[in-house]
Amino acid sequence: MPYVIGVGEIQAMTMEEQPTKTLDARGLVCPEPVFRTKVAVDSLKVGECLQVLADDPAAEQDIPSWARRTGQEILSFRRDGRILTFMIRRTK
Amino acid sequence: MTAAIELDQALSVKVGNTPLIPLKVKWIEGVSMHAKLEWYNPFGSLKDRAAYWMIRAAERSERLKRNGVIIIEPTSGNTGIALAGISRLLGYRVQAVIPEKVSQETKTILMTLGAELLQTEGDLCPRVGRGTDQSIALAQAVVRGHPMKYYMPNQYENEANFLAHYEGTGLEIWRATRGGLTHLLAGVGTGGTITGAGGYLKDRNPRIRICAVQPQRNHHIQGLRNLEESSMPKVLERHAGLIDEWIKVSDQEAFDAAKELARDHDLLVGPSSGAVYAAAKMMTQRLRGARLVLVFGDDGRKFKSLYSEFRVFQPNEFQRLVSEADYLPASPMFSHLSPAA
Repeated sequence: MPYVIGVGEIQAMTMEEQPTKTLDARGLVCPEPVFRTKVAVDSLKVGECLQVLADDPAAEQDIPSWARRTGQEILSFRRDGRILTFMIRRTK
Repeated sequence: MTAAIELDQALSVKVGNTPLIPLKVKWIEGVSMHAKLEWYNPFGSLKDRAAYWMIRAAERSERLKRNGVIIIEPTSGNTGIALAGISRLLGYRVQAVIPEKVSQETKTILMTLGAELLQTEGDLCPRVGRGTDQSIALAQAVVRGHPMKYYMPNQYENEANFLAHYEGTGLEIWRATRGGLTHLLAGVGTGGTITGAGGYLKDRNPRIRICAVQPQRNHHIQGLRNLEESSMPKVLERHAGLIDEWIKVSDQEAFDAAKELARDHDLLVGPSSGAVYAAAKMMTQRLRGARLVLVFGDDGRKFKSLYSEFRVFQPNEFQRLVSEADYLPASPMFSHLSPAA
């Protein structure tokens, strides 16, 4: 049976930005995930997006906190079990 | 192997044995003051001692074999410089985790010596304190994530830091003064110098007063630590009992002292040395017959931008001091500052 893509998935795919870069911060502990996120976002051009994968529970607070403080935009956040996925756009 | 041993011997001879010079002060009678000029160490600061002791201790305990392990360390500058310089000679890679606010000259020297830089900001991890606590947290996180790949000497906890000053700085001061000092003054960063040198001196003469110099909150004195806003290093905590006095110095007092040292003594010192001198001034208002020994951790050549920003020395005055100040040994790290010959 061919797999049919549902309407919900099409919506999800078209609404989500394609990241310019992905940072796999799984296995890293606070504050390394937010540090690596900062370094990666700094290397983007304004408007570009970074996808971050993390599994340190502290990252759930640290990364949005950092984004708020520095004015970067969190486009989306997802938790699958222990894996956190952030999509961050560089705004400045 | 012979080359490595010769290098070690050359290094162990060059680290330490720094000059102790008299400082004639006009503002009080009957007090003698001497300064130990730690910038005579091979990479320009007292941190060469701790770095060398920590690396040798790690090699002896086989934690560090010359096989690709990366040395990573949180540092406000001088330890990174010392580790980078010594490791470059011995063949190790170094990553220095430093606060972003460290002077640009320090960063340049680190990169010139081959260190890779990880720069932390004020509050990456809101759960720990400001400044170097952020760097410590990141360095520890990196090692925890990749334990086989990294070795962290951890100057804030490593007893080899204390021993470097006990067996080195303290012993040298005792011998140079023939035991004839009444007070030791040093800045507190990791606490290695004040407790190590202080420990040696107190073991010889319990009546010697050990005086620790602290900066203000939110200070700009590279290398020192304010213990209200930053945590107490284990090295300091273990031996804090032997500190007799704590003196707090503001940025302004430290900078004014650096100016006075240039004007009255022809010395171009780093801000932490200014802080120690300022502390000595505060103390001697109430002491006669004291014989003080001050530890001057580094010279002023890394601090052109800081001294300009805080109006300590304007760039042309700074340049004049670089060329003309007393007791400034030539150093390849600073050759870019001198006009071309």
